Amino acid sequence: MRILRELSRRKLRTALTITGITIGIWALVVFSSMANKINALVEQGTEFYTDKIIVTDGESFGTSPMRLDDATTIAELDGVAAVDPQVHVLWQADGSGADFSVPDMVIGLIPGADAGHETFDLGLATGRMLTPDDTGNVVVLGSSLAREHDVVAGDSLEIRGETFEVLGTLQPTLTTPDANALVPLATAQRIYIDELPPLVADALVPEELLNQIVVYPDDVGAIEALAADIEATVENSATMTGAKFDESVGATTMIFNAIIIGVAAISLVVGGLSVINTMAMSVQERTREIGIKRAIGGARGRVVRELVMEAGLIGFIGGGIGLGLGALVVVVANEAGRTSGTVLFELTTGTGIFALAFSTILGMVAGIIPAWSAARLDPVQALRHE
Amino acid sequence: MALLEGRNLQKTYRLSRTNRVEALAGVDIDIEAGEMVAIMGPSGSGKSTLMHILALLHAPDREARPAGELRIDGRDMTRLYDRERTKMRASQMGFVFQSFNLVPTLTALENVALAAEYAGVAARRAREGARDALSVVGLAERAGHRPMELSGGEQQRVALARSLVNQPKLLMGDEPTGNLDSKRSADVLAMLRRFNAERGQTIVLVTHDPEVGASCDRIVRMRDGRIVADERVVRGVAARADAAEPTESGFGVPERRLAQPTAAPS
Repeated sequence: MRILRELSRRKLRTALTITGITIGIWALVVFSSMANKINALVEQGTEFYTDKIIVTDGESFGTSPMRLDDATTIAELDGVAAVDPQVHVLWQADGSGADFSVPDMVIGLIPGADAGHETFDLGLATGRMLTPDDTGNVVVLGSSLAREHDVVAGDSLEIRGETFEVLGTLQPTLTTPDANALVPLATAQRIYIDELPPLVADALVPEELLNQIVVYPDDVGAIEALAADIEATVENSATMTGAKFDESVGATTMIFNAIIIGVAAISLVVGGLSVINTMAMSVQERTREIGIKRAIGGARGRVVRELVMEAGLIGFIGGGIGLGLGALVVVVANEAGRTSGTVLFELTTGTGIFALAFSTILGMVAGIIPAWSAARLDPVQALRHE
Repeated sequence: MALLEGRNLQKTYRLSRTNRVEALAGVDIDIEAGEMVAIMGPSGSGKSTLMHILALLHAPDREARPAGELRIDGRDMTRLYDRERTKMRASQMGFVFQSFNLVPTLTALENVALAAEYAGVAARRAREGARDALSVVGLAERAGHRPMELSGGEQQRVALARSLVNQPKLLMGDEPTGNLDSKRSADVLAMLRRFNAERGQTIVLVTHDPEVGASCDRIVRMRDGRIVADERVVRGVAARADAAEPTESGFGVPERRLAQPTAAPS
């Protein structure tokens, strides 16, 4: 390949040009990966809610919790495939939740109540899952909690002053379940009633207490109708579905998206200008060479084409190196972040292909302008250029 | 019919709105096939401009009245598009410049082959032709070197090889010996003389070196954008034979006498 030989003979110039492009594409890759990750997180949330309805006690803030009866009522409605009654309480009694991160939660549930309808996969890191036979102070911990308290299956730890035996720990999911502790329903019910105002608590039977019911529909398509049906049937209930999640999270998501698009746009502009600048400079330096080629009979189109091919190749190489370095940063940062549970980047194939195509095409476009203007000069003028 | 015919060639450079330089003030010139012509004159006399126009690197002014004419082999060149002029340069002309003008990233062989490729020769045959041309100038063993690795004389010989790889009718030189010492100048001149004698190439050289002028058949003298003298150099047979072989003194300067100096037409 003559073009490669020519590049290698212009080592310093080529290296500088490639470096300029590399930096631009590197920034592009890193920022895009960050944007990808945030998008993925938001989408995961939507996905989590698409195939189910979350029923809570609405606006009553725990003053009139739901009862096990409500779960039974819902189960009898048309179009309900499974009902998973749960009690959610904060890990820490005084956890005010004034925190942006996902709060640590203790979730009481009946193992297997979802009847296999839950599609979100929780893998075990150590020990075993809860079974319907488990009672009392036993817990399966999400990965963040397990790491935070440095426990594995067989250890014990304190939750709200009580000692719990750890039955198992979960694999990291990089989302909500990492901060969840799963306990038998009755255990959570007991914790829950203790923190209700005495007046409310006195009127309640602990074993009947619920504050969240996950409903799996027969037909995901009819989910909104079913949600309305549930709200009409169960007093003081509120439902959350994928569509409603989008609605409520939508505003936040839009702000996030605006930030991400802004960051991506800046990196695109910075990367793009860096490519254009270096390429334009390096081609302009070769005006005289263009003059030589034109003088000895090189047609304009051909001379320009040679340079543009070269510019494209330089763009491609710079893009490749930038992509490689960007990928390295993504992997290293994610590896470092994994231990603290903050995985920030996600490098997709699409981003990689875009980065390469962007640097190649932009390199060519940036090369074509000075190349063409040099080729348009008459050869004598171009030859005088220093 | 002359190989090159120029009539009322004018060229004005507009340096700014008010500053115009009349480089050529209307030149008539005929160059016969097989001639070796030197165009001489002081700086700013328009000699380079004339050569650039004859070599189709510049177009003459279109505003000239009567309209300027330039014919090569009887074919009008003034109305050609850039593409056709480029094609003419590639296939009909060879170029040698004062500063050699080789492409710095290409080897000697690639530089020569490039000219052949521009003339439409396939890459492999272009390389073969380039190798032959380099042997003609005695640089076959330096074919893989890049211009930076060659001496000035060697670079100019590469440029000579490039100018003859397409066996063009016309060879145009712009101060081809300007950057060379007298020994190298003599080598280059001897080669040009040889191409002229053996291949019948028509050679037009711009120079202010009297020795270069002396080794040509004809000297066109210019001043202020006009031709002021057109002299024929006459030499003995011995001098011609001499010309092919450089001698100790650099070049066998031939006896000469000026023939029919003509006044510049205006």
